[in-house]
Amino acid sequence: MIVKKILLVDDDRFILQLICRALVLKGFICFTANSVKEALEILYEHVPDIILSDYSMPEMNGFEFRKVILTDNKFKNIPFVFFTSFADEELMQKGLDMQAIDYIDKNTPIALVVSKLNNILDTIRKQHEKSLFEIGAAAEALNLRSVPLDSPAINGFKLNFLYQTYEHYPGGDFIDFITIDENNTFVILGDVMGKKWGAWFFSFNFLSYIRSAIRLCVFDGNLSPASILNKINRIVCLDPVLGDVLSTLSLIRIDKTTSSVYYAGAGDLPIIFYQKSERKTSTIQSNGLLLGIMEDGLYEEDVLKLANGDQLIVVSDGMIDFEEYEGKKTDYILFLNKLKPVLGREDTYMQIKKKMFSDNKKRAVVDDRSLIFIQKVEEHC
Amino acid sequence: MIEITTHQNYYIAKIKFAEANMEQSDLFKQEIINELDSGHTHILISFENVNYIDSSFLGALVTSLKHAMAMGGDIAVYGLNENISQLFELIRMNKVFKVFKDLPGSYQAGWIA
Repeated sequence: MIVKKILLVDDDRFILQLICRALVLKGFICFTANSVKEALEILYEHVPDIILSDYSMPEMNGFEFRKVILTDNKFKNIPFVFFTSFADEELMQKGLDMQAIDYIDKNTPIALVVSKLNNILDTIRKQHEKSLFEIGAAAEALNLRSVPLDSPAINGFKLNFLYQTYEHYPGGDFIDFITIDENNTFVILGDVMGKKWGAWFFSFNFLSYIRSAIRLCVFDGNLSPASILNKINRIVCLDPVLGDVLSTLSLIRIDKTTSSVYYAGAGDLPIIFYQKSERKTSTIQSNGLLLGIMEDGLYEEDVLKLANGDQLIVVSDGMIDFEEYEGKKTDYILFLNKLKPVLGREDTYMQIKKKMFSDNKKRAVVDDRSLIFIQKVEEHC
Repeated sequence: MIEITTHQNYYIAKIKFAEANMEQSDLFKQEIINELDSGHTHILISFENVNYIDSSFLGALVTSLKHAMAMGGDIAVYGLNENISQLFELIRMNKVFKVFKDLPGSYQAGWIA
């Protein structure tokens, strides 16, 4: 169920409580205000999905409130419904002329008010999803992808990834795999700070730089992820367009011949390393700073020798965000504890997919999220 | 969005909301940059009211820091809850920002604890 937030504005506290109670029972989060002044204070902290406002209030009335809302880019697109006992056609027309979505008479039974609000929000959501789908289709047609369709096959390794959008929006996460020769494959997982379209748009800029830097370094015989990260960071710091945009990056090179993994990170979350022989889970934290903060990003490299059955998990920050009853929180340890029971199994990847990426887990998602799974397996002849 | 007070020779910008996310990040960044541009170049951002911070807000924080550094100022953070403090360490934001558990004494070519 999608949690819907509503701002109720009425100088009659009894009515506020009555409607709020009915809406909470239907899964709404209600913010209540006794005056327009209070409502505006709430708006600056919580942007609701819909506003239901009385017309007749002392000091500022509902129309004046609507006028203020319409002048603010951040609020003007929030669906606005007038709620009043004035059954005056002229006033109703005036409200609708101010781009209010509807008018609800205060004599309407509460259950019907709730249904009406739900219907309005459902219609808007469907329209919104349709628009997102159309934009997604256009991006697809232009071959604009921040996440690949599939992962490459590497003899001696299992390589998979999982990606989930946030409320159907593409976000700042980007994934890529670059096989440079028969022995070496680069694995890329980054996250442009920000959400939705802005972050998605910039993810292509970062991906382009990363792809170019890898190719150019490889031409020079340089296969070191830390050195490549250093070059990417210097370019990003000099790029005026990306001046205010920051990104994390986990850069891994899988070397098939030595069964080794070379890892360097920029402001990324620690990667998780499961060693089968010792049945041990550890985390490896890279040293580097987010791309674009300063010219010396302090990038260093870790080398991990993988034995058959060893596993590596790389994640974006959306994986450690949780929506709980008390609110949102970021908790890496909680994520790690959820992951540990499925590590070291034959079906670890499928278990992660089932436990963390199933449809019923989407409700708790607060950002787009990605996970890359690497496992050393027996080589085929 | 932020409440500005002075302490010793720097300014404290106390975030007034609990969820520091994309919805607030642009306005927050603008308010901090306005403070910096008005000459308040050394700002301690107080997270005492904040329960959660998302990557958009972290981005706004770093952009504000870059703005401060370009004008010879600095931004430090204070009052992080356990989860946010853990996040700062995990993604090395503690190397980017000076993080204080207690109010620093003053700023003299660096934050003095």
